[in-house]
Amino acid sequence: MVNANRLQIDFRQYIMEAILIVMIIIFGIFAPGFFSITNMLNILRNVSMQGIIAFGMTLVLISGELDLSVGSHVAFAGCLSAYVTQALSVAENGMLPETAAIIIAMVIVLIIGFLIGVFIGVFRTRFKVPTFITTLALMASLSGAGNLLTQGFPITPFPEWYNFLGGGYIFGIPFPAIIFLIVFFFIHFLANYTSFGRSVYSIGGNEEASRLSGIKVKRNKILIMAIVAVLAALAGLLNSSQIMSGTASTARGWELEIISAVIIGGVSLQGGSGRVWGTFIGVMFIGIMINGMTMLNVSEYWQYVVRGILILSAILINQIKEMNTE
Amino acid sequence: MELNSKLEAVGLTKKYPGTIALKDFSAVFDGGKVNAVIGKNGAGKSTLMKIFSGAIQPSEGKIKINGEPIIIHDPSDAFQKGIGMVYQELSLIPELSVTENIFLGRLPKKDLFGKSVIDWKLAYKKTKEILTSMEIEIDVKVPVRKLSVGQQQLVEIAKAMSFSPSVLILDEPTSALAKHETQMLFSIISNLKKHGVAIIYITHRLQELNEIADTVTVIRDGFFVGTENMEDVTPAKIVDMMFGEVEQRTRPEDLGVSEEIILEVKNLTRRPEFEDISFRLKRGEVLGIAGMLGSGRSELLRAIFGADPYQSGEILFEGESLPGPYHNSPALCRDLGIAMTPENRKTEGLILPLSVRQNLCLASMNQIAANGIITITLERKYAEKQAHALQIKYSNLEEHVSSLSGGNQQKVVIGNWLNTDPKVIIFDEPSRGIDVQAKQQIFQIMWDLSRKNLSSIFVSTELEELLEVCHRILVMRHGRIIQEVFPDNTSLEQLYAMCMEA
Repeated sequence: MVNANRLQIDFRQYIMEAILIVMIIIFGIFAPGFFSITNMLNILRNVSMQGIIAFGMTLVLISGELDLSVGSHVAFAGCLSAYVTQALSVAENGMLPETAAIIIAMVIVLIIGFLIGVFIGVFRTRFKVPTFITTLALMASLSGAGNLLTQGFPITPFPEWYNFLGGGYIFGIPFPAIIFLIVFFFIHFLANYTSFGRSVYSIGGNEEASRLSGIKVKRNKILIMAIVAVLAALAGLLNSSQIMSGTASTARGWELEIISAVIIGGVSLQGGSGRVWGTFIGVMFIGIMINGMTMLNVSEYWQYVVRGILILSAILINQIKEMNTE
Repeated sequence: MELNSKLEAVGLTKKYPGTIALKDFSAVFDGGKVNAVIGKNGAGKSTLMKIFSGAIQPSEGKIKINGEPIIIHDPSDAFQKGIGMVYQELSLIPELSVTENIFLGRLPKKDLFGKSVIDWKLAYKKTKEILTSMEIEIDVKVPVRKLSVGQQQLVEIAKAMSFSPSVLILDEPTSALAKHETQMLFSIISNLKKHGVAIIYITHRLQELNEIADTVTVIRDGFFVGTENMEDVTPAKIVDMMFGEVEQRTRPEDLGVSEEIILEVKNLTRRPEFEDISFRLKRGEVLGIAGMLGSGRSELLRAIFGADPYQSGEILFEGESLPGPYHNSPALCRDLGIAMTPENRKTEGLILPLSVRQNLCLASMNQIAANGIITITLERKYAEKQAHALQIKYSNLEEHVSSLSGGNQQKVVIGNWLNTDPKVIIFDEPSRGIDVQAKQQIFQIMWDLSRKNLSSIFVSTELEELLEVCHRILVMRHGRIIQEVFPDNTSLEQLYAMCMEA
């Protein structure tokens, strides 16, 4: 009796994983070529950039906040990187070799990304502005800033080798997929094995109780927002490498797709609970579903409809799980 | 309005699983009088009230209005049947006007081009009439949030009166009011008596009775103790009725107090919550702070712990001054060795979605996570140590803390702080809502700390607990410490009278 019960609970814990496996088997049977190594790597590459940000977003949602600016931030980061590279390496100012120019540009993009996150965090903790509002505003401003830097057209100052970041392979594995996995392990470790990670959960679960237990709520909130912003900047660099340009119109709507993946992974919008592993599953879920449906020649419009249904079903499953544990 | 209505409770009983909140309670509340109902916390006042308001149904017994037995299905039914309720917590909608609040959901309508629209002119007129009849002067169009708490309380009463009730129940209406607002409220209540309404005035403030009540009904442990006319009764008699025969228990003999001062508070002030607070806490001492709700005790403790700022004054810990009014913080106090278990464990003490293990190690995170990386084995050890020492009942350390009983949750809050090895623990109402056995265990913790020469500050509304547990008790009233007493030569009645200025 006890054993049966335990099995049942374990199954409930991993219900999304179970559904994912069933989905993979179905695609494997009906879509020829789905199980090929090329296709598997393709899926990994396709999910990697949004996935990188999704791990940061997981921390943000667990802490009870939201970041809507990540999509625009990706575009902005790409534009900024292209702009700085161009400015430093054009013939007239040409003191710097291209490689040095690009490295400087990348460092600048990451630092500015960090500062944008700190800005959101400070607005939240010092002026009590909800992150929903600040990041909604930034979503517009960063998109505008990207257009200002590029004058509305893609700029393409990058040399051939730069394409490696977004399009290259190491031992046959796409480079962005490697970054994706590294970020996954890093955030997973952060969330589960560090005092910072624990404070993310406790702040999201009860901010006042956390403060009264001596947890530095403000500092940690700022750090959380900075982490996701840096990851957005990083994804922006990889994306600019993949499309080999700074383009202001890229990555539009990513913020909602990323949040969808995190929610499918079982993170609650109320804060306080969720797993980084769940987000990994959520990201793979969306990636595999899109890939499989494309291989089955399901129209793109249907894919959107299915994605919507999927988000709702995932929430429903998590809610039922919640109700059963109470 | 009919004159002299009458509310009767006949044999009201309310049983809950494992406990009886109200036992065969019978009383008569006459119209044209203010009938006070008094009793200590948990005596059954609120159960009685919830039955009158229809929020819960009695297990046995009935309610009669003017001799007619009635059944009250729910709170809106209570209004229909002539019972008006004014709750302790205000239920007004801040953004709406006085008129909209009073006539919420039933604003008068008129016909305009065949459509039914709100008749604002009539609404304002009716509101003015109600307010004038109660001799209240408030602008009927002003949003409620712009009014003082006292004025809001009056609007709440006006709202209840707009139903022309024959019985008006007021639940501790003065608990949030300043002195002059209380006076205003009292004159309004005296005025309402003239309409023949039976007013039931629930309170635990003895000193208000003489000013406002005509009769007083005492309730104790769910029983009706008696009803007396105010002219025939002394405050001491009422206290006697409230407490009955209590056996006064004392702390164990072996708890010594050293002469060394560990914590000193000098002239700590944050108006209007507390003012000019000075006291010294010795090593090994259990210091009680007695005071009613709203006396400023919780606010004082939070300020000492750095949870809220203070305006002026000084806090010295082990002879060192804590950084000024706005730089003190819980994190700093924790690092120095001060702990606080907050008043409300669910909103301030626990992280409900997290496990028992995680909740036991929130404040001691620095110890189990050197360099920021948690040593899981160490964390388990910390959690198990407290779970064992405090006899916390759980099925699994990984279980959500929300699934524990109130007493065990409180022990988790305490265990979380014991893990920091504090030198002083501030216990803010640790015994609220937990069973007798868990209470005794918490007292035991304080005594054990004392044996280790560690100090506690203990706040409780239950004065008999303070007398049982503490070496010394400070009495707080209206934000000031007015007296220092010792349990050895103080009776419960005396302490109660000090808190109440009776």
